[in-house]
Amino acid sequence: MNRKSAIVKVFTRKLFPFILLYGCYLISHGHLSPGGGFQGGVIFGSALILLGLVEGVALAEKRFKEDFLSLAKNIGMLIFILVGFTGMILGYSFLSDFLPQGEVGTVPGAGLILFLNLTIGFMVGTGIAVIFYRMVRHGS
Amino acid sequence: MNRIVAVIVLLILAFFLFSAVRLDYGHPRQGLSEYFIAYGVAQTGALNTVTSIYLNYRVYDTLGEATVFFAAALGVFMLLRKEGEEK
Amino acid sequence: MINGINIGIVVVLVGIYGLLTKRNIIKMIMSLCIMNSGVILFFISIGYVFGGQAAIFEDSSSLMVDPLPQAVMLTAIVIGLGVTALALALAIKIYDEYKTLDTNKLLEK
Repeated sequence: MNRKSAIVKVFTRKLFPFILLYGCYLISHGHLSPGGGFQGGVIFGSALILLGLVEGVALAEKRFKEDFLSLAKNIGMLIFILVGFTGMILGYSFLSDFLPQGEVGTVPGAGLILFLNLTIGFMVGTGIAVIFYRMVRHGS
Repeated sequence: MNRIVAVIVLLILAFFLFSAVRLDYGHPRQGLSEYFIAYGVAQTGALNTVTSIYLNYRVYDTLGEATVFFAAALGVFMLLRKEGEEK
Repeated sequence: MINGINIGIVVVLVGIYGLLTKRNIIKMIMSLCIMNSGVILFFISIGYVFGGQAAIFEDSSSLMVDPLPQAVMLTAIVIGLGVTALALALAIKIYDEYKTLDTNKLLEK
């Protein structure tokens, strides 16, 4: 990572929020169009990986702390299970759809699927970033 | 020697696999997926049928998959350390 | 006879060949990935219908491919990713410990 091109750095800095936005779009529209939690989460993680590749992992880690990313991954998994148990408290079976269905074709129209997509995307995005940062930082 | 044995094993395996798999390619099938296509939108509200299977009908699969991915990420996090950290 | 089902079986066989003959751990992990891709191709091809569209109700299109194998393979892709990441982490640890990735040399040590 010695040869840092200015073009690549500037374009990465400009592209980074748009890649995150595209990942959020894929996650939140996973039940209406191609996409979903895992796919959007991978794009979310690839934005962090791009930042780590271009700016250097040490600099990218200053912005996104590795412990923070790992904590976010753990919280995503926890929310996934807690959402399932919330259904049990309200009298449905584990992980069943307890939210009322809205109008079909809108973003909140699918009940629990939106929230499960969000938690899975959150977990996968931060998990992939954690895996990449650990592998790159190892031994260096 | 090693490769010859491997090729012989693969030939036997290929014979059994190709004789076992007799699926007609590209023809529509009846059964469970017809049910998912017919009732998926009305029951789950998701236009994407793959998502409605993935997160409503077979959500326990998704729970197991999330657990496996979580365990893998946690394993990488535990196995690899930075240089300064103690083991 | 060249369709996704047969090609998927062939790709799985290629992966098994690599797993049987190669002696480098990185190449063995690559063979695992190839086997994973073969299984995914096989299952996606099972659900294909001639002229079928993706299983999304955008307009009232008639013919759709089978969505069930696609949903199952989504799980398999995620698990393949996790398995690959964990295997690569283990390979890094093995290289740190023994300074080689050759399984023959690893067995001697």
